Amino acid sequence: MKSIFCFLLALLPAVSVAQALDPHKLLQKEPTDTWPTYNGDYSGRRFSPLTQIQASNVHGLALAWMFRVRISGDMRGVGEPEIKSTPLMVNGFLYFTIPDHVYALDARTGVELWHYDWADKGGHLVGNRGVGMYGSWLYFLAPDGWFISLDAKNGKERWRKKVADEKMQYFTTGAPMVVGNHVIVGVGGDAIDVPGYLEARDPATGELQWRWNSEPAKGEPGSETWPDEASMSHGGGMTWLPGTYDPELNLLYWGTGNANPVMAGQGRKGADLWTCSIVALNPDTGKLVWYFQGSPHDTHDWDNTETPVLFDAEVDGKPRKLLAQAARNGYFFVLDRTNGAHIVSKPFVPLNWSKGIDAKGQPIPDPQGQPTVDGNLLTINGGGGTNWMPPSYSPQTGLFYVNANVGYSLTYLTDTSEHPEGYGGSVRGLWSQHVLEAIDHRTGDVKWSHAYTTADAMAGGGQGGPGILTTAGDLLFSGDYNGNLIAFKASDGDILWHFPMSRSLQNGPETYMLDGKQYLVAGGGDTLFAFRLN
Amino acid sequence: MAADGAKIFGPTCGFCHGVDARGGSAPDLLRSSVVLDDNQGELIGQTVHDGRPTKGMPAFPALTNDQLRDIAEFLHLQVELAANRGTYKALNVVTGDAKAGETYFNGTGKCNTCHSVTGDLAHIGSKMNPPDLQQTFLYPGARQQKPVTGVTVTLPDGTRIIGTLKHLDDFYVSLYDAQNSYHSIPLEKGVTVQVEDKLLFHRQMLDKYTNQQMHDLTAYLVTLK
Repeated sequence: MKSIFCFLLALLPAVSVAQALDPHKLLQKEPTDTWPTYNGDYSGRRFSPLTQIQASNVHGLALAWMFRVRISGDMRGVGEPEIKSTPLMVNGFLYFTIPDHVYALDARTGVELWHYDWADKGGHLVGNRGVGMYGSWLYFLAPDGWFISLDAKNGKERWRKKVADEKMQYFTTGAPMVVGNHVIVGVGGDAIDVPGYLEARDPATGELQWRWNSEPAKGEPGSETWPDEASMSHGGGMTWLPGTYDPELNLLYWGTGNANPVMAGQGRKGADLWTCSIVALNPDTGKLVWYFQGSPHDTHDWDNTETPVLFDAEVDGKPRKLLAQAARNGYFFVLDRTNGAHIVSKPFVPLNWSKGIDAKGQPIPDPQGQPTVDGNLLTINGGGGTNWMPPSYSPQTGLFYVNANVGYSLTYLTDTSEHPEGYGGSVRGLWSQHVLEAIDHRTGDVKWSHAYTTADAMAGGGQGGPGILTTAGDLLFSGDYNGNLIAFKASDGDILWHFPMSRSLQNGPETYMLDGKQYLVAGGGDTLFAFRLN
Repeated sequence: MAADGAKIFGPTCGFCHGVDARGGSAPDLLRSSVVLDDNQGELIGQTVHDGRPTKGMPAFPALTNDQLRDIAEFLHLQVELAANRGTYKALNVVTGDAKAGETYFNGTGKCNTCHSVTGDLAHIGSKMNPPDLQQTFLYPGARQQKPVTGVTVTLPDGTRIIGTLKHLDDFYVSLYDAQNSYHSIPLEKGVTVQVEDKLLFHRQMLDKYTNQQMHDLTAYLVTLK
């Protein structure tokens, strides 16, 4: 008896840390036995060095398990539940979300271990990107602005903090991002004109550490890009997608959303900093180090929140620390991430809203490309050239991959008053086509592309869509809008494998090793699918 | 009633808050927490009745409870009209020159090659509202839920299956043939799929229209009552 007791005691510490995330894993480049953050690592590349599954054997990929979320009926205002989160995989446990719900699964079997169900009092259920993890604590954003910490072992709530007011039409969808001793939390919502911000919270207590505002205060640098204090204090710039982080430079990179009022810009003439920008912040203080504005004075609802992807590569024979983004406004940007200096600014889809770029590499909006009362015909999809779906960069191919949308749209101004509010405009879609593009980061040229074959070009137009994963097996995993999960050859775009999930990929696929086997996990509609080689 | 509220709000509150409640010398009420946290006038009514003496807002004790509720309803409607994109309406898309649109229809635009204003487009201006009409002539597929499309599938042995497209992706095609029999065909090597593309010309035109031509054409089509 005594010996068994001792044995159990000896086991206890191991059990209690079994579910905890080793903080060093967050700093590891290209971790293979875990997927510890929304993007897999801080770089946002969504590239894995794993090669057990590779171009030569991917045809043998088989379903290991599937897990369907058991939510009966439609979710308020958005239809059937959709998994838009990227699960975390830590020590054999998967943690993922849909709006109002967090799940923990056994990553070996897909068996549900616990389920946290939040009763919201408002907020938009458009999506949830997942959880963040610090030790054995999880962080989740409920749609109505509650920042909630759970115990990863059992899903029990540790505490909750209010970070945004749903009555002011804020809603929260992001995956909290753990950086050092900070949990970075962004907000969304642009139905009425409220200011955007980004917060750092204490992992232990949830208390506020700092808040960075998307708009400057009166008299501060950047305020000269707004006509007055009133427009500036309501100007939007939401921070709804997770950012990226460079531990060596200790810089946090974050994209900000569109300005408000969204499409009626007459009350906010000027560039409207720091809306529609990539900002580099010090994660310990929240202070702005540099910015690059992807869409100065945006009037098209083209958030610049798309993942700022970090990688190092040679430019003109010199090693550089780079940041690349395929922006919703249709431009592909490559910057020097030490200082924000631009290297490449080039459209990756046809567009006619811009007159080219300025000296900083920022697009210049064409006055002829603005929403008009009688409708303005734009040669770009109304939802933009891409959206929140995660892109990927493969150091093996040197290519940046994005699911793009080419198309045409009509853009209308519906509020002509001097001080419009809300959206103040609308968009009607015309024809559009989803295209997977492989972009050469040195030039911005599209090296290869795949236009997804479909019977109905309008299907899924502008509705977000499938994310991308690349691996050192010369593979690219993504999906079409017909429910297929697809493996492409990353180097040339050949299709090597597919699996009909019946509902389309809405998150970023991920991969990791578990028990010596490489897994691929992807969400199709309300179901998670796990694959491995048999 | 919101309409009654507007009549009270304008002369009573509009001088400071603006007749549309979007602010003037006093705050914008569409973004006021008193308004956004209010349900049925309980917060708005109290505030208007008592005023906010410390902030320079006078009290309005003479307003009845019904009038206060009407003001609250008016304010809630203003928030809804700004915040809910579903309520937005195009203001006026008919700004072009109908005569120039007619010339374009029968000339440069070549619309009359396939369409007739006394045939398929007869009374089109009565059948659709102008914004729908504008969107539809630019790309007829934009407002159709499931366009009916003809398809011809040729198998490696030369067999042709002709019918109506049901599904097409990178991996298989399916269709109903003339007998309404269903065929599902994997897109293996040697299988070719020819999809009828009735809208190709419309798509090509999207690169060619100037906004002026588009608005002239809209103005012309709207006259086809």
